[in-house]
Amino acid sequence: MSSGKPPIVTCPTCGKEHAWNSSNRYRPFCSERCKLIDLGKWANEEYRVEQREADHGAPEDLQA
Amino acid sequence: MYIGDTSDGTGLHHMVFEVVDNAIDEALAGHCDEIKIIIHADNSISVTDNGRGIPVGIKFDDKFEPKRSAAEIVMTVLHAGGKFNQNSYKVSGGLHGVGVSCVNGLSEWLKLLICRDGKKYELEFQRGSLVNRITEKQNGVEVSPAKLIGETAKRGTEVHFLADSEIFGTIDFHYEILAKRLRELSFLNNGVKIELLDQRTGKSENFAHSGGVRGFVEYMNRSKAVLHSKTFHAFGEAGVVSVEVAMQWNDSYSEVVQCFTNNIPQRDGGTHLTGLRMAMTRVINKYIEENDLAKKAKVETSGDDMREGLTCVLSVKVPEPKFSSQTKDKLVSSEVQPAVQEIVAEKLSEYLLENPVEAKTICGKIIEAARAREAARKARELTRRKGVLDGIGLPGKLADCQEKDPALSELYLVEGDSAGGSAKQGRDRKFQAILPLKGKILNVEKARFEKLIASQEIATLITVLGTGIGKEEYSAEKLRYHRIIIMTDADVDGAHIRTLLLTFFYRQMPELVERGHIYIAQPPLYKIKHGKEERYLKDEQELKSYMLSIALKEAAFYPTEQSEGIRAEALSEIARQFFVAEAVIDRLSSYVFPEALKALLTESDLAIDDEKQTRRTVELIQNACKGIIRVNLEKDEAGENIICLERNLHGNISKTQMNREFFHGMDYQQINQISKTMSALKGANSFVFRGDQKKTVIDFTQAIQWLIDEAKKGVSIQRYKGLGEMNPEQLWETTMDVKNRTLLRVKIEDAIEADEIFTTLMGDIVEPRRLFIEQNALGVKNLDV
Repeated sequence: MSSGKPPIVTCPTCGKEHAWNSSNRYRPFCSERCKLIDLGKWANEEYRVEQREADHGAPEDLQA
Repeated sequence: MYIGDTSDGTGLHHMVFEVVDNAIDEALAGHCDEIKIIIHADNSISVTDNGRGIPVGIKFDDKFEPKRSAAEIVMTVLHAGGKFNQNSYKVSGGLHGVGVSCVNGLSEWLKLLICRDGKKYELEFQRGSLVNRITEKQNGVEVSPAKLIGETAKRGTEVHFLADSEIFGTIDFHYEILAKRLRELSFLNNGVKIELLDQRTGKSENFAHSGGVRGFVEYMNRSKAVLHSKTFHAFGEAGVVSVEVAMQWNDSYSEVVQCFTNNIPQRDGGTHLTGLRMAMTRVINKYIEENDLAKKAKVETSGDDMREGLTCVLSVKVPEPKFSSQTKDKLVSSEVQPAVQEIVAEKLSEYLLENPVEAKTICGKIIEAARAREAARKARELTRRKGVLDGIGLPGKLADCQEKDPALSELYLVEGDSAGGSAKQGRDRKFQAILPLKGKILNVEKARFEKLIASQEIATLITVLGTGIGKEEYSAEKLRYHRIIIMTDADVDGAHIRTLLLTFFYRQMPELVERGHIYIAQPPLYKIKHGKEERYLKDEQELKSYMLSIALKEAAFYPTEQSEGIRAEALSEIARQFFVAEAVIDRLSSYVFPEALKALLTESDLAIDDEKQTRRTVELIQNACKGIIRVNLEKDEAGENIICLERNLHGNISKTQMNREFFHGMDYQQINQISKTMSALKGANSFVFRGDQKKTVIDFTQAIQWLIDEAKKGVSIQRYKGLGEMNPEQLWETTMDVKNRTLLRVKIEDAIEADEIFTTLMGDIVEPRRLFIEQNALGVKNLDV
């Protein structure tokens, strides 16, 4: 990491702002709970990005 | 006899509360509104109220000889106080049910002062026994009345005692312990003024907390961020039970609920709390369901979800309450539960209906809690998948390397099976491992697709990395490869998957980013053939400068027939400036019409500060954009000139503008630089040479265009759409071979940026999402390794 002030980050789950601090073991989250919620969303396949070209093979799944 | 532990101070303080409770009983019965507690310098305590005064009349049915006054009996006989008789006080507290006689028994001395019916009486005790007893005959019966010491206009009771240090060891009273309970009492008994004075320190406080339990809840939330300003409050009576409850949610995750029965706190709740919970769960769930609030979140809310961030005071007044133990930590009176349930259900339904904003906020918090609970469950499921934690049995799709030392090992994360196959064939199996990751594509709407990393893929990734996941198991030390290289297609979709992966690492394994373990591969975007030369170029920028170098080879520009030819470095410098300006115009073209910007290239040192400058600039743009753009001069709020541009394309009118700041900014400086250079190169008969070819041109722009067109003739350009288009050898040569490849090491700042981009991509806000896709930006700074 570059020197100088630690970057200010927002907790991806609750949006609280805090400084990046390696003593916070849940960084970039503010708390264990917020980190766990995030992991749950990965596990639950809630994180998606838009796919522009649908030609990368047929859609596997047609569920909404 | 129970008065709490005598050694840890709880019993000692209960002595005070026992006496205060008697005064509160008077207040509850409506006879008293002021209570004053003094901690004297010798640690003795006096409690004074303005109630009716303890009755002093002789109890003629007293079996004791001589027959005693009611006051003496109250002070010396267990369970003799008015609170033990439902007819004296409808409801009554009393901390531990033993009455004030217990306090007397545990005191070295106790003085009782009673003002009643205009007279003042006194009774003195030592270690529980009356001293200085007076006896007299009344109606021929031997009696022992309270000592009359004078007349008074006041009324009330004062109990002044010194706790017995032989029993308690220490009799040091803590101001805060007393203050906390007195504050509680003042809230619970709306309107009673309670004063506490510590003569040892001079500290004093007046508790006159109005607002009842609602005030209490707001007091408890005073340093919290509350979610709604209007506190829920309900008061009602069902049969003999009266119920008062207040609730307010704050942004924390913990619950603070205080339950009281006849002013006595129940640490372990009981039937009143059960009634509250049942009513809350039913009413709030019904409201959420009826208003479709949880539909989007796809969760079911439970009673537990309603507890997050809740501050609540529940106070019931019940005649003859029943508790599970003498310490009254839990209420067991069964009639209380339906009473609380009925009152809360009715009032809470009303509250939600009448306060839709509050209702939405509260339900939002509850739904959020439900989602958190659900997410935590899913996360636990993920960590329990086979292989995720034990690390044994690496997944079959991983092509591992031979090297066992993590510091020397690399893992390529490759999107797509075909690219994964090429990478597996092309790699150096000694130290390079390949894990193909397949994005899962969902058709969310007719023509809209979304891509995600399936949870199975995430589990596989974690297994391969070896770090584990989650609070208990995750350890960055166990990482099996010190270089994790993300290799995706060089297009928007590739960038999206890369952003997704970076976000995952940043959020769930930030140490890997901090320690510099995460890299991004740079596969080429173009393959160029020029004569016998073959080159891979990583992006548009590289392609442009490569084409330029070919175009300028053996080229010379002559502004006029007589002038010296400009060639080599000098020519390439002008061309560089030209392309910089072109890039600037390109970038600005989403804000200002490019035609107008290009017009600025034809003259230099333009501005719109004064009349003359402005006229010149406006005319220049007008002439260059005739018939395409309408140019108007306007003023902004500050009175500064603004050039307004309006374009009418088949009836669609779009507007852009240039203000004064633009002409003073960096962008214009770059445009101005090349326009100056070019105007110096203007000549009547310009021409350009490339090798033995010659071309007459009107200006430098045309010259450079011709040179590039000429250069293109001898060059073949192949654009790679994806990694899959490269064969294993090409992939190795361009992207994986340590000798040739360029890797970008991801820094924490880059990961933060990726996270922001990701958040934007995920968000519902359409505009930044579109902008992102247009820019296709992942600003990773170059760092060769």
